[in-house]
Formats: sequence, C-alpha cells, structure tokens
Amino acid sequence: MILLELGLLGLPILQTFYYSFTDWNGQTSSWIGLDNYARLFNDSTFWQVLGNNALLLASIPIAIVIPLAVAFLLNEHVTGWRFFRSAYFLPTAISWVVIGIVGIRFFAAEGILNGVLRTVGLGGVQTDLLSSEVGAMVAVIITFIWSVFGTNTIIFITGMATLDREVYEAAHVDGAGAWATLVHVTLPMLRRFIQFAFILTLITAFTALFSLIFVMTSGGPGFGTTTLEFFVYEKAFATGVFGLAAAIGVVLFVIVFAISITQLRLFRSRAD
Amino acid sequence: MVYRRFAALLVAGLLAGCSASATPTPSANPSTAGSGAPSVTTSAAPSASPTTAAPVSITLWQNYGTEANAPATYAFVKAYEALHPNVTIDVVSQPAANYFALLTAAAISKTGPCLATQWTGLFTLQDKSYLEPLNNYIPMTTLKQFKGIEWGSNNFNPDSGVYVVPWEMQTYNGFYNKKLFAQAGITSLPTTWAELAVVDQKLKAAGIQPFVYGTGAQGLTAGFYPYYDLSYLMMMIPVTDWQKLYDGSLPWTDPTIQAQLDKWVALKANGYTNKDVLNDTQSFQQFLAGKAAMTLEGTWAISAVEKAMGSNVGVFLPPFVDQPLKGIVEFPGDGFAMTNYCQHKDVAADFLKFLADPAAQKIVADEGLIPSVLGSSASDPLANALLSFAATQGYTRYPMIDNVIQGEVQAVGATVLVAAFAGTMSTHDALQKMQDALMALPADRRSSSGYK
Repeated sequence: MILLELGLLGLPILQTFYYSFTDWNGQTSSWIGLDNYARLFNDSTFWQVLGNNALLLASIPIAIVIPLAVAFLLNEHVTGWRFFRSAYFLPTAISWVVIGIVGIRFFAAEGILNGVLRTVGLGGVQTDLLSSEVGAMVAVIITFIWSVFGTNTIIFITGMATLDREVYEAAHVDGAGAWATLVHVTLPMLRRFIQFAFILTLITAFTALFSLIFVMTSGGPGFGTTTLEFFVYEKAFATGVFGLAAAIGVVLFVIVFAISITQLRLFRSRAD
Repeated sequence: MVYRRFAALLVAGLLAGCSASATPTPSANPSTAGSGAPSVTTSAAPSASPTTAAPVSITLWQNYGTEANAPATYAFVKAYEALHPNVTIDVVSQPAANYFALLTAAAISKTGPCLATQWTGLFTLQDKSYLEPLNNYIPMTTLKQFKGIEWGSNNFNPDSGVYVVPWEMQTYNGFYNKKLFAQAGITSLPTTWAELAVVDQKLKAAGIQPFVYGTGAQGLTAGFYPYYDLSYLMMMIPVTDWQKLYDGSLPWTDPTIQAQLDKWVALKANGYTNKDVLNDTQSFQQFLAGKAAMTLEGTWAISAVEKAMGSNVGVFLPPFVDQPLKGIVEFPGDGFAMTNYCQHKDVAADFLKFLADPAAQKIVADEGLIPSVLGSSASDPLANALLSFAATQGYTRYPMIDNVIQGEVQAVGATVLVAAFAGTMSTHDALQKMQDALMALPADRRSSSGYK
C-alpha cells in the first residue's frame, strides 16, 4: 500500500518539483534552475491570482460558520429538521459542472438573482456580477460556499451526534442557556470536526474548483477569477509552458501545506 | 472521498500533468537540442506503405464544429479513402474551446491522433514539440505549392521543417446585410473610423443594430474573437512593424494602440454593438436572422451566410483606421499537421500530400473556402470578393495578429481583451497585462531577428 502511495503520489510530486526547475514543453526538458520561479514572482498576473486565492481563503470561515449554525439548529431538531438535513446535503451530490451552470444562470445579467430583485421591487440594486473582476470573484465565492455547505453541515451534525449528552445535561443543570451551551460546550467538543471541515474546505477551495471556474467564468473577466489551480492549467495547456506550470503547482502545494500545518498547530496548542 | 479527489487533483491538476515517462525525454537529435530546429535530417521509419494492400487505420482530430472546414475535411477523407481502399481515416470532431489542451495532453501520453488540425504561425511553433516535420515525407516542391507554407514551418522557413499543410487561405472579415444597409440609406462601405461612425449612426437612426459580436459562429471561447478586430485595429502601422510588437520595441501600452482600442470600446459605449459583446453565444444566428447589420467572422463562415441570406449578404473589411483602409487579413490560418508519435507516418503524410491535388482543392472551393495551392482558384463570389482586395485593389496582406505574437501574450490577451472590449477592464490595464506577459518572457523569446 505504501509503495502504491509512493508510486502514485510521491513520484509525481517529486517529478513536479524537478520539472519546476526546467524548461519543459511536455516532451523535452532542460535544467534552468530558479528561472521559472523568478519569472513567476515577477509576473503581476501571478500576484493577482494569488490574491484571488487569498479571497477564497478569507471566505472559508464563512463556509464553516454557516453550516455550523445550521447543524446546531438541526441538532436541536427544529421543525422540519429531517427535510432540511436532506435538502442542505443536495449540493454535495451535484457535479461542479452543473453547479457552475447553475451559478451562471443565477448571477447572469438576465439571471435568477436579478429576476428576483426585479420581482420584489428592488430592480435598482440589480447587478451584473459576472461582468466585473471583483463581482465575478464574489459570485464564484458565493457559489463555492453554497456547494460545500452540505458537506460541512453533515460533518458538524455527525460531530454533534457523537457528543456526550451527559455533558449537555450537566450544562442545563448548571443553568447554561442555548448560547452558553453552544460556546462553552458544543464548540470546544467539536474542535476536531471543525478542524477537519476547515482543511477539507481549504483543499476544495484551492484544488477542486477548476471545473466550477472553467464553466462559470473561465478565469475571467480578465484574471478576476483565475486561481492558482486554474493558472496551472492555463500555463500548461494554453501556452505549453509546463515547467512554469509545475512551478505554480509547487507554490500551490507549499501554500496548502503551510496553511494546513499552521491550522493544525493552532488547534493543537489550544487543545493543549 | 474528498481526500481522494485531492490526491487525484494533486497528481493531475496541481502537478500540471506529469509526463507518462518517468524521466525527462531527451531531445531526439542532440545536435539540434535547444536550437529550436527540428530533426528533419533524421530518416523516417515508415510503418506501412500507402500503396500497400494491408489495412491501415489512422485518426484525424479537427475542431471545426459547424464551420465549412468540417464538411471539407470529411470530403477529403472520403476522396482519399476512395483512392486508397486499404486506408481508413477516423475523423474525430473535438470541442474547439479546449482543443489544443486536449491535443497537448494527448501528445504527452502519446494517445492522440496521427493527423490534427493545427493553427499556423506561433501557434505551430508553440506546439512543435509533438509535431513531425514533413520534409522527409513530402517533396519540398509539393509543400511549396501551398501558399503561406512558411507560416506552418519552423522559424517560418520551410527548409527548417514544415509542420503544417495549410490547405486553405483565410481572411478575417466582416459580413453585412445589404437590405439593412439600403434600408438605412447607406450606399457605400466605410473605409475609416469616421465613415464607420456615419454608417453606425444611420443604422441606429433607422432602428437597426449596427454590429453583433459574439461566439455564435464557432465553438471557440470568447478569447479568440478580439483578435479579429485587433488585427484590423493594428493596421494603423505597416505590417512590417508588427514584428515590433513581438520584440517589444513597440510596447503594447503605446498610446496609439490604446487609442485604437478606446475607439473600439466607444462602439459599444455608443450602442453600436450588442450589450453582451463577445459573450453572445447566438451572435451569428442573430446576424443571419437580420437582427444586426454587421458581424465579424472569416472565410469559414461564407457558406453559412450564403445559405441563410443568399445574395443579401456582402463582405467588408473593418475600417478601424483614420486613413482609408488598405489592408486585409489574408492568411493561411490553419491546416493539418502530423504528430511525431504517429504510427503510420507515411500514410498520414500521403494524405497531407493529397491535399495539394486538384481534386482536394476543388473540395475546398466547393465549400466556399479559398484554396491555398498555387494555380487553384476560389469559386465562391464572396471568397473572390475578399481575394480581390489584395489581388487587384492593392491592399496589403496582413497575418492574423494572434498567430504572430507570443503564445503567452496571446493567452493573456485572450482573457483581458475580452474584458476590455466588454468595458469591464480599462484598455490601459488590459494592454499593460499583455505588456507584462511579454516582458516576463526570456529575452530570447523577444528577438528582433525573427519569430521563434
């Protein structure tokens, strides 16, 4: 099993590190040292793309907090909780391509969002989000949050189901209200589930949104919704500079690794 | 499950598509490694003779969608198979939007076709690592029968290695609706910005939308379409000066270039184009239906406009210049190439050689396209009208600008020009990003001694 992992994962990773130091066109390669990295860090587009990833990163707390709140309500067995549990999980079962198409239809100038705004008399605030760099990124982020909502909700519901009920009863006996119970009992005990959801969402945001972005905005307008992952594809397959694309892949790898480790250590130190 | 997806993406996406081989592939010819020159002196190893009776099957990828080039391709294959009953050519229609990504990925894993539609110019040089020089398979005398063969050649010199057989000449051009022009009282075609403004005003005053722009005619993404217009916008300078865009001596941020783009953007701002300019997926259909007076496409659309509009359609050249326009984009924009991993190179090459045959060139003409072989001629009246600009009216032939700028700059332009034309990014910012992409290239990719 370890050999299989090394062969399927370790070797390609090492290859990528190697190719990032080469001028590789997909067929032949020649060693160029740090040139790809120098070229990358001197590319203003790269920094814009990195900024887009930072925006995605900044959206992750929202993608955690909303499902956490909903999971708490579902766990309290509010009216219709069984229906909502299924409904909220639905986006998880839909492919990114379909989600992307739904996103376009929702945010387009003549789309569902503006239609609803017009219907309720708010035609003055309707906007063509997909036509501007910032607007399109906002649309992608909202769609992303919606798409991971179900997964994270289920993670938190599962986590809450594993919590010791006696602790809750003790909290009630001590006079703790719903808010105090959430903050002082539920959240601390859910730490590992929150940690898991965070890393899962981070990985999804940084390495699994290609299909969504490809369908929804193709990385545009301009480079407004181009993420590092999409940038890898563009450099490799639109312009054939695979060595540079490998360097971007390495940067992406390092970023995800660094954030994951930092996050793990933060939670661990708090637990300690 | 998501971790597995992460693992797969880590390998396939994040790691930029690693080669099937575990180690870097050495150059096939050490003497030419790094020089950019193909190994045209390497002897070919035929796997089967085209004259043999043994059945041979090869694959051809094309990305033509519903363009006239698609039926022409199928007709070529049918005609060739009739001459060579032992040969089967499986034509695969690939999506245009990510065609080259598919072709590149297939080349890396060596699972692609023997023959493939390939764009000329720097698009070819960008992909030459998986293309086979044809010099050892097709006599140079035959190759040089194709007009513009240099644009499909290494360093744009056929003797350095021909990669693409351009079987048709193409133009970027406008189509206009004659009835709508007459309805607006327009009697002559515009040749300058000023005259175009008058035409636009008359059309708008008559309740007619002047231009419709979008991706309706082809399966390409919007990013390629600005280059039709940009080719004409850049005719403010002589064609010989286009090399300056390549070597950087004329920066993309030059005020004269920005001024040209600003004038184009004003077309949209003044309501002379559709609002969703370049992103309208039904643009061509709207033009055919008479909902706009003008649209921009190329020779590949001639048969479609004639079929839908008959004699009511005419051709024009976008007059995006201050002085009367004297240039036309007339260029061998694409053709067929052979991959270097093809198992039946002699058969594939024989098919490419067949494209120079009068029977094949007649197929080109019959589809309303412009045959590229010397001595052949177009039969379609609109095609001939377009040819007459350079042939008899003294217009200068320009290449397609996207074919003669670096791939990295072209790719950035494909993204930012769409935004600039749509008015969601300033023309200055868009051009700055193209300039940044140019300057990020190694110095030898900005040579003033020729395209590489």
